[in-house]
Amino acid sequence: MFIINREGVETRSLEHNNDVCLGCGICVDTCPTESLRLGPLVPIARGLIDMDYVSINEKTCVLCGLCAVSCPFSALSFEINDTNVKDLENYPNWDISLSVNQEDCLYCGKCKSACPRDAIIFERRLPKREDLVRGEISINEDNCLYCNICAEMCPADAIELACIPTTQNDVLANTISIDTSKCVFCKVCSRSCPTEAIMAICSTCMEQDNITETEITGNTFITENACVNCSWCEDVCPVDAINVEKPFEGTIKLVETEEVVCKGNSCHACQDVCPCNAVEIVDGKSVTNLTHCNLCGACIKACPTSIRQINRNSMKLVNINSQSWNDILNKLIE
Amino acid sequence: MAVKIDNDVCGHIENCPAAGLCVKLCEQGALIEEDGDVKVVPENCDDCDLCIQNCPNQAISKA
Repeated sequence: MFIINREGVETRSLEHNNDVCLGCGICVDTCPTESLRLGPLVPIARGLIDMDYVSINEKTCVLCGLCAVSCPFSALSFEINDTNVKDLENYPNWDISLSVNQEDCLYCGKCKSACPRDAIIFERRLPKREDLVRGEISINEDNCLYCNICAEMCPADAIELACIPTTQNDVLANTISIDTSKCVFCKVCSRSCPTEAIMAICSTCMEQDNITETEITGNTFITENACVNCSWCEDVCPVDAINVEKPFEGTIKLVETEEVVCKGNSCHACQDVCPCNAVEIVDGKSVTNLTHCNLCGACIKACPTSIRQINRNSMKLVNINSQSWNDILNKLIE
Repeated sequence: MAVKIDNDVCGHIENCPAAGLCVKLCEQGALIEEDGDVKVVPENCDDCDLCIQNCPNQAISKA
């Protein structure tokens, strides 16, 4: 995390947020004054060193904002007179939208489990269990031994007993109660009761026409800052309710030579720095799943033998109005 | 092939900015800590070059 600023005709400030930084080094590549430095990716990703992915030389930075504009993951924010350049019409911006169609969403939560960055916030409201079943249950306390067998057997954990020891060891001081919001009238309690003290009737099947269809509602949304556009969520969604656009199109491949080959499990640097959970070591070699790769290029920088090759052939950075910025930014897709 | 350590520039764990980063990085047991110093075990080295790339003192090179 760093914040630098300078006041002149305008007040300009640049802020780096290491929590959302991927260590991809795009900013380092686009900085025209070589003021940004990438830290040791693999030791940082493995938690061996506590430092930020990117550091800045405040003395040489001219606060042009190219780094912030080129970062597809909003890890750098650049403000002019307290306005983020993302909101200024003359500045470039990433046209990468994320959306969840709430009408189609089943609130199954698969997207949340698949997200490698904890970027999905998800909550659901389930129907009440008692609205889905019908029946009756009662306990004849005259017959009850308070033996606790029913409570131990109950799969819904709906029966509670309180056995209070008294001087006379009087069972009358004990209590038993059934939580009807949990009971589904399965009758395991009455079948296991040694004194037939529980009477239970299930009428769910008989009354099924009267049981109204219940609706599961909720909210699923992707937090833009934490999202790395890997599209895992889109891929696992069973109803295609999620749309994630990626910042780049292109490929990553391994280019091994006679002298230099991928050392797979010995190294796995690429796998450790990948923010997308898109790299796997298969049969001792690094394999990149391009479906989930966001082409950030962190693995390229982390590979100690430089045998990974990235080819980005298009990017979603739009509204580049200056020729010099265009020349620098387009180097990302050369 | 293995790697070699330039003893003149190595931080010898005590003065290494990451207290023996190469030892922590190497999962092959080719770089081990012995008597407070780093030792190369050549037969364990797989030539992945991870240590060479990440040594903060640039003290490691190909043997």
